[in-house]
Amino acid sequence: MTHPRSTGVDDRALVARARAGDRLAFEELVRLHAGRLHAVVRRLVDDPHEADEVTQEAFLRAWRAIGTFKGDSQFFTWLYRIGVNEAHRRTARRTTAITSLEDQLVEPADSRPGPAAQFERSDLRAALEKAVRGLRPDYRAPLVLRDIEGLTTTEAASILGLGEAAFKSRLHRARLAVRAAVRDQLPGDHEA
Amino acid sequence: MMPRAMPLHPIRFYRDHRLTRAHSSEYIDDELGADDRNRIEEHTHICASCARFLASLRRTVRALGLLRPIGSAGTEVSDGILARLREEPDLGEDAGA
Repeated sequence: MTHPRSTGVDDRALVARARAGDRLAFEELVRLHAGRLHAVVRRLVDDPHEADEVTQEAFLRAWRAIGTFKGDSQFFTWLYRIGVNEAHRRTARRTTAITSLEDQLVEPADSRPGPAAQFERSDLRAALEKAVRGLRPDYRAPLVLRDIEGLTTTEAASILGLGEAAFKSRLHRARLAVRAAVRDQLPGDHEA
Repeated sequence: MMPRAMPLHPIRFYRDHRLTRAHSSEYIDDELGADDRNRIEEHTHICASCARFLASLRRTVRALGLLRPIGSAGTEVSDGILARLREEPDLGEDAGA
């Protein structure tokens, strides 16, 4: 996975220039991080066009606020936090009511009949996508950042503004919900 | 749930059972202290149900990696952002450094 941290480019120098008003430096930061941020946002909002808008808005907010970024965290952590907050803000706007966690943690799994072992990898992928999209936003984000994007617990918790204990709790519950939704399609899985 | 064997006191066994269920994600992520890690490993050695559960959760986490590549929209996304960014005014003098 190409991760923002592994581009080999020193964000700090670009951020320093951007903070001084260098637009070209910020444009370079956009090129470095837009793809990965978009991938994260795409999993947090359901509409692809909205994901584009959220990603654009995140970078515009980052540009306007770059002067407030003091470098206490990595740039991508700060940027992801802006993007995730924007995604949650839009999602929350549409959510009229959130029922209890136990009831709504994940949508019911696909109930198509047939032997589980015959599901192909693409079917598993589709089931995983469905299960992840069925998670409540506050449980989906930890799982997306940790298990799909491959961030560390510390990084992901920081982006979400959570303590590590709270982050781990949400991540664990999200994993359990995904497991419950796809377990019949996991190769080698059995009743546990 | 029927353990393969129960050499431990039942209270200890069920305490470890709950520990395993509650902290299996941290175990998989290698984020547990040595004591809890050892307890989970000892427990899954004698509790078939927890051993299957742990393996299943590990497979789930591994399978989530299948979702990692989500297309290469990077350039297209960047172009849209850059177009909007160029409509933004320059930062004020007090913006940064």
